[in-house]
Amino acid sequence: MSGIFEYNGGSIVGMKGKNCIAVACDRRFGQQMSTITTNYQKVFKIQDNILLALSGLNTDIHTFYALMEKEINLYNLKENRKMKPTTFANLVASALYERRFGPFFVTPIVAGLENGKPILATYDSIGCKSDLDDFQVGGTGGNYIYGACEAFFKPDMSPEELEEVIGQSLVSGCDRDALSGWGGVVYVLTEQKITVKILKTKQT
Amino acid sequence: MIDFDPSTFGLAHTYQKEDKDEINTLRMPSAPQVIYKSLNGPTQTNGGNKLNNFKHGTTTLGFVFKEGILIAVDSRASMGSFLSSEQVRKVIEINEYLLGTMAGGAADCQYWLAYLANHCRTYELKNGSKLSVAAASKFLQGILIGYKNSGLSMGCMIAGTDLSGQHLYYIDNDGMRLKGDIFSVGSGSTYAYGVLDNHYKYDMSVNEAVELGIRAIYHATHRDTASGGVVRVYHIHQNGWTKVHDGLDVVDLHYQFAQQKGLVGDGDEAKQRLF
Repeated sequence: MSGIFEYNGGSIVGMKGKNCIAVACDRRFGQQMSTITTNYQKVFKIQDNILLALSGLNTDIHTFYALMEKEINLYNLKENRKMKPTTFANLVASALYERRFGPFFVTPIVAGLENGKPILATYDSIGCKSDLDDFQVGGTGGNYIYGACEAFFKPDMSPEELEEVIGQSLVSGCDRDALSGWGGVVYVLTEQKITVKILKTKQT
Repeated sequence: MIDFDPSTFGLAHTYQKEDKDEINTLRMPSAPQVIYKSLNGPTQTNGGNKLNNFKHGTTTLGFVFKEGILIAVDSRASMGSFLSSEQVRKVIEINEYLLGTMAGGAADCQYWLAYLANHCRTYELKNGSKLSVAAASKFLQGILIGYKNSGLSMGCMIAGTDLSGQHLYYIDNDGMRLKGDIFSVGSGSTYAYGVLDNHYKYDMSVNEAVELGIRAIYHATHRDTASGGVVRVYHIHQNGWTKVHDGLDVVDLHYQFAQQKGLVGDGDEAKQRLF
């Protein structure tokens, strides 16, 4: 449990479906081995069709989100239009690299829908973007969630199926990680709406 | 020739049994030899990193009350932040009248408590009467002092019944041996103490004591990441020990306790923003 990425703990996962995309996160805010709250927000709505999920050091989660919120607001004011998800994905990468020698200790996942097509991008803490995979994970429980994702995932799932699968993957993964869990939230983004579901998980 | 049991003087690294004695007897593993002992202080098992200090990643508790002793433990084992098991047995049944709890290194606790069990049985056969709890715990203390600073990690409680009643001792790898009425050991002990100290009375009934033990362990599992799994509860009385609960899932307990308070228990009581 050494390391700055393990100080607060937490896990996130993103998964593509057929014309929809889902992200899920746990809800724990802890300090090393002690749990402080079980309702910490880790997924943020940047725009109606863009969600930003963050894991890592909680203070940087909050600060990086505030920075991205500022960027998108300025963009809207200057360009007088919405930002495309692929553009936002690039923005996150450059914003992270701007702090190359004093990075934000976060591993973001950007999830969006552009013309009905799901966009999923993940980064390391200094902005290396990876946007080709169908599902991505982040956080201390990431590796365990990968295993569950590989088992449950299939391409082109409907929103209901996707919600079920991503929820199960998150919960199974977090069950093996001491620093993640204490609740879960699943966000499913479709052309028409964003659905939010709170999962009933182990509170231990 | 006098057969020196290596642990008699706590000098586990000095004597070894001769092979020819073992032809007609059961093979007993010889006590481990110490190869390196730190001169400055305890050998750092976890690299010395404060963030890595998982020495006692668990919650165990025991308290003495009117009807005997209650022992309650969790069942989680973790290797760093990886949860290796949620089903560990942290109460070791030494014999029908003695129990030991496990905290710290699982291998250390399992081995030395089994060693203690062997010693208790040998004593019983040689002397015709059972070893007292005080003597059993002192024997274990002697062994651990012999291995002091060599990196063993154990924070166990020895609880049992003998002719003078029910007794509870705390033993750890530094050679500490304390007799007491309330103990909680492990990373979740601080949370358990809070609940335990709040509701403890000597004059509790068995049911009240069991409830208290369960609640204290549950609260520790909720806040401490290194504790979880199921609650196991044992009661020690004048006729030995009884296993009251073998595996109460703390997840179910969480939602039960929340419901009793009229809450849902999903951590969302303050209706936090979800976006």
